Amino acid sequence: MKVHLKIKRFNPEKDSKSWWGEYDVNVDPTDRVLDALHLVKWYQDGTFNVRRSCAHGVCGSDAVRINGQNRLACKVLIQDIVKNDGDTITVEPILGLPVIKDLIVDMEPFFDHYKSVMPYFVNDEALPADGRERLQNIADRERYDQGTKCILCACCTTSCPSFWLNDDYVGPAAVVQAHRFIFDSRDRAAEERLKILNEQMGVWRCRTAFNCTNACPREIPVTQLIGEVKKALATGEIR
Amino acid sequence: MATFISTLWEGVRYRGGIGNWAYLFHRLAGLATLLFLAIHIVDTAFVFFAPSLYAHAIDIYRSTPFMFGEIALVAGVLFHGANGLKIIVFDYRPDLWSHENEKRAAIIVFAVTIILWIPAAIIMGNNLIQCNFLHLCGE
Ligand code: SF4
Ligand code: SF4
Ligand code: FES
Repeated sequence: MKVHLKIKRFNPEKDSKSWWGEYDVNVDPTDRVLDALHLVKWYQDGTFNVRRSCAHGVCGSDAVRINGQNRLACKVLIQDIVKNDGDTITVEPILGLPVIKDLIVDMEPFFDHYKSVMPYFVNDEALPADGRERLQNIADRERYDQGTKCILCACCTTSCPSFWLNDDYVGPAAVVQAHRFIFDSRDRAAEERLKILNEQMGVWRCRTAFNCTNACPREIPVTQLIGEVKKALATGEIR
Repeated sequence: MATFISTLWEGVRYRGGIGNWAYLFHRLAGLATLLFLAIHIVDTAFVFFAPSLYAHAIDIYRSTPFMFGEIALVAGVLFHGANGLKIIVFDYRPDLWSHENEKRAAIIVFAVTIILWIPAAIIMGNNLIQCNFLHLCGE
């Protein structure tokens, strides 16, 4: 079938502002949007740029805004977003991070927020007597399971109106990552992380708009996890 | 300011679903209420400081566009309240908030707003018609 692609283009060396490039491509309904973007780059305009690595929804490098919603280009099937032959698909870079070229944004500010919440395991206590793993029961492991699925694609953070308004807000992805460790029974730095998230640009900037939850390609209940962090802060209990 | 406007604009453009709309309306309604309160406090202060200005302010309040604005403002206040309650519930029970519940809750908030607003709009609209269109109100 034929689809009409409308892609937001920007080349910092030539353009003073972004413009819409329009392309017609032939695809199968079961192709992914990423395949359509490849067709443009490979056969119509080699100057067009999109970032992708795994092409299978694992690495999180091709988050873009497709038909007004943040998605991974490699996870969205053509047949799920267009009905008729010749329908239009719009693709733009995710909002709130500096555009490097076309659909590629600079992820550094996003990763800086990620790093700010201490997204690593902290425990300086002596190892268990057998000198091996710190064991955990099934319920304890389950408690932070959702956060472990995050691939740091930034779909959530760049769908958040609070983040658009002020990119100093750590953003939902960083909170999800903090949640992953705060609620890990083996970790010992929960207090410190909560302190960071209690700052003005921390978790309270979330206004529960739910865009992040709708955008997450890993189906993480992002707003719920943020809510749990808020609750831990408000009640002083990590449960 | 640029980011404020682009946030508003993108908030309208982004296909975020009903939660996105609830967020937008909540913010706008909050802003409108705050603005109205600020103006209202200033003009009430006129009673003491500049009574003639106060009379002028009251005339403005009775003008047709302003009364329409007030009817809309009531909707804003009601929505801000109802949605605020939704957020409070959310803060206490984050675990309840699945996709479906969030959608349902937002729909309920919109519905409650409209149900509460209709009688208010009828009373205020009636007043508006009687005074400004039929001129039945005494001076
Ligand atoms: S729920 Fe919070 S973090 Fe998620 S999009 Fe809304 S405001 Fe942003
Ligand atoms: S929480 Fe979901 S949307 Fe956000 S960065 Fe992780 S995987 Fe991407
Ligand atoms: S290219 Fe890796 S997630 Fe899409």
